[in-house]
Amino acid sequence: MRTRNFVLVPLIGLLGACGGPQTSQGNNPQANISNESRAEDQAAASNLEARVSVGDAAKIMHARHEGMETIGKDFKALHREFDSPTPNLALVRTAAGQIAGLSRQASGWFPEGTGPEAGKTGAKPEIWKPENKADFAAKLAAFQRTAAAFNATTTRGDVGAMKTRYADLGGACKACHDKYRTEMHH
Amino acid sequence: MSRQISHGDAPLSAGRAAAVWDLPVRLVHWTLAGLIAFSWWSVHNHHTDWHIWSGCAILTLLIFRLLWGFLGSSTARFSSFVRGPAAVRDYLHGRWNGIGHTPLGALSVIALFGAVAVQVGLGLVSEDEDGLFTGPLSGLVSIDASDTARGIHEFWFENVIVPLIVLHVAAIIFYRLRGKHLTKPMITGRAIVDPATKPMRPAKWWVALICLAVSIGVVRWVVAGAPPFGHWTPPT
Repeated sequence: MRTRNFVLVPLIGLLGACGGPQTSQGNNPQANISNESRAEDQAAASNLEARVSVGDAAKIMHARHEGMETIGKDFKALHREFDSPTPNLALVRTAAGQIAGLSRQASGWFPEGTGPEAGKTGAKPEIWKPENKADFAAKLAAFQRTAAAFNATTTRGDVGAMKTRYADLGGACKACHDKYRTEMHH
Repeated sequence: MSRQISHGDAPLSAGRAAAVWDLPVRLVHWTLAGLIAFSWWSVHNHHTDWHIWSGCAILTLLIFRLLWGFLGSSTARFSSFVRGPAAVRDYLHGRWNGIGHTPLGALSVIALFGAVAVQVGLGLVSEDEDGLFTGPLSGLVSIDASDTARGIHEFWFENVIVPLIVLHVAAIIFYRLRGKHLTKPMITGRAIVDPATKPMRPAKWWVALICLAVSIGVVRWVVAGAPPFGHWTPPT
């Protein structure tokens, strides 16, 4: 997102809008990686190889859907808080903790056999193509890493740092969704 | 519908070329067409941030055109083309002579601008499915309201905007088949007109600049989240 400002410039010029795209600085999602989330990277990678029964697939897809929906709701609530000049930090901490927790559960959400062939889902079959498995696992790991890093910043009072980590997390969500999720119409 | 076409650069008409559309009207028309196409493309190609800026640019055009409808050249003014059903009936019976929007074409103009205004309004308070992107005024409504607005925003494009664009283009093709060019005057600003018709009264160029400055000012305020009522952080 950040690297595409060249097209925005004429549009912003047209608007005369100031306060255009802000660049988050000091991006280093690696900084706050806990040993725990490194372990999760391994878990995420291994789960893709697992095969599940039809009954388990339905259960996992349901849990995945509910989990993603909760993460989405948390993310929307966070967006409101960070758009506001006075974010409610208690709300931010709760939402960040919930997303981090669900991100760890996400390691078990994508076993083989839980794609569109098993039922209604936004997950593209590309996830389980051999050439994409490593990339998907890396994107899932990036989600877990950025969710943990964002959650860690919320324990302190630096809202600027929170926003930076929040933007990193959003970037991780988008990178995976752009490639591996279908456009859904509810 | 009557076979008679009352004005325009019909090849057999004994008219002369005269100004019918001023530069601001033409610029708004083509920029709006381009931005609508760009808005559609960007949101379907993972560029929701560009989509939002495109919508803000469209808002600037809408506000400008609204002001120009009161202060612009005679053919740009609402008072010259917003008419009642009697005028539409007269036009359909071939009893209309003039330059600018025909009484029937005016209905299309009003419908298109109205539909785009609704679309921009919905977009301003929307947010995307993941909460990654918010419209500048989404903070003024609840999360549920933003999600509902997004749903209507999608519905409105597919079921109102697209059909109106199809109708608009179909009407242009229809008139073209009957010998009346509508596209070229919208590019050059000039058309062959009946010498008996009242010529376009052009507006001052600096009035257009004032209208543009005002519309940019309003959109800057909207893009800030309409303080003090709300605040908005643009997408990074």
